[in-house]
Amino acid sequence: MTPLLTPEPAFDRAGLAALAGLLIVWEILGRLQLTIFIPSASSVAAAWWELLNNGTLLRSAGSSLFSLAKGFIPAAVLGVALGLAMGRFPTLREVLDGWINALMSAPLSALVPVLIALFGVRDTVVAATVFLFAFFVIVVNTMTGVRGTERSLVDMARSYGAGETALFARIYLPANTFLIPELYAVIVSVLVVALLCASVVQACERALVRWK
Amino acid sequence: MTGPVGIAIEGVSKRFGAVQALVDIDIHVKAGEFLALIGPSGCGKTTLLKCVSGLVAADGGRIVVGSRTVTGPGGREASLVFQDFALLPWATARENAEFGLLLRGAPAAERTAAARQALAKVGLAGSFEDAYPSQLSGGMQQRVGLARALAVNPQVLLMDEPFASIDEQTRRILQDDLLRLWSDERKTVVLVTHSMEEAIYLSDRVVVLSPRPGRVHRALDVPLPRPREALDVRASAEFARLVDELWQILKKMQ
Ligand SMILES: Nc1ncnc2c1ncn2[C@@H]1O[C@H](COP(=O)(O)OP(=O)(O)O)[C@@H](O)[C@H]1O
Ligand SMILES: [Mg+2]
Repeated sequence: MTPLLTPEPAFDRAGLAALAGLLIVWEILGRLQLTIFIPSASSVAAAWWELLNNGTLLRSAGSSLFSLAKGFIPAAVLGVALGLAMGRFPTLREVLDGWINALMSAPLSALVPVLIALFGVRDTVVAATVFLFAFFVIVVNTMTGVRGTERSLVDMARSYGAGETALFARIYLPANTFLIPELYAVIVSVLVVALLCASVVQACERALVRWK
Repeated sequence: MTGPVGIAIEGVSKRFGAVQALVDIDIHVKAGEFLALIGPSGCGKTTLLKCVSGLVAADGGRIVVGSRTVTGPGGREASLVFQDFALLPWATARENAEFGLLLRGAPAAERTAAARQALAKVGLAGSFEDAYPSQLSGGMQQRVGLARALAVNPQVLLMDEPFASIDEQTRRILQDDLLRLWSDERKTVVLVTHSMEEAIYLSDRVVVLSPRPGRVHRALDVPLPRPREALDVRASAEFARLVDELWQILKKMQ
């Protein structure tokens, strides 16, 4: 009767090496000064450090986080709801699957510069962009998750009298939100990309306005 | 709750599309009996248990558990125990043990008390309560599965190959613990297994199902003395003879 505590996965050395490699390449490209749009990694880091010290980064990170949340939270709520429904009801899935796939593979990234050109890097544009990217990923992931939910968990719950509502609330929803690693991956990547973009933009700005 | 109840399975058939899974199954399980169901893979053992629990609707015949004719899942007489344990990975051992009561709308205090008691019965008191399934070995996970089944205080346990994925050493301990629980609690048990030794060691009677389509092929009484967990029954000549008799039945059926 010994409890077998599963060890945490080992530290990912390959991933770390890849990251280091990327940083080195970035630094070299930056130092070559091919264009001001590729500042070196170290100048980005320096800009980051300075902005962090004078509070600008925290302020802009705060406001980017806020606009991220404005896009992400509705995307998560609506996406999970639609994904659950599509996973559970074949008719709805048949009707919407084509649309979701078409929209998901549509070049949304091409739309973003258009939106920015039209409206500027405004809060709402950022939020809309995040929504568009996250929504479809969440719908498809949730739907796939529901369809792949362990048969025996569903049987188990039904054997204790769970109806459709209880199944959603107690099995499908927790099985496909708390446990979707992809969901966390999306959140983390969006955050990292957003923060990186912010500091690259700042570093470019500094390069452009050197006289200041 | 009141004492154990019997199960009447009468003329039950089930077809899945082109596959005739069960044909005209007649089994009467006596109140308090320990019945083993054995048969080759795909002969419909799981389907039959699901029919008894109401998860699968039989095409013909009827099933009565205690005094209730089975018409769908959710009956309070019987609890299922699953081969893959069917534990919620996001819930602790105690939350898992409470789950049946939660679905039945029991108040929190009552749930916790019943789950603690059930976990203690299966040897998982104290610190194990807060462990997640992934932190527990297979044997411990099935103890949680059994605690969940017991927490609702059923009169019948329907067990689908509960120890099939557990290592031999742990399995024997679990088998003894199940026998002890069964004699303490006086429940009716239907246990599906593909292990001849397990069927003979645990049950009062073994029902052999034949494959494609699943039918009752034969029943074999197991008059070994009890409590078997205390009598070292496995070492007896009678145990070996019964296992061999069951093997001869299964072999000739192929
Ligand atoms: N939901 C289902 N849909 C279609 N066929 C099924 C389903 N469940 C079981 N079957 C078929 O019924 C037969 C009996 O299956 P099962 O009851 O799982 O057998 P066992 O538990 O004895 O291995 C198998 O041929 C299986 O493929
Ligand atoms: Mg089976």
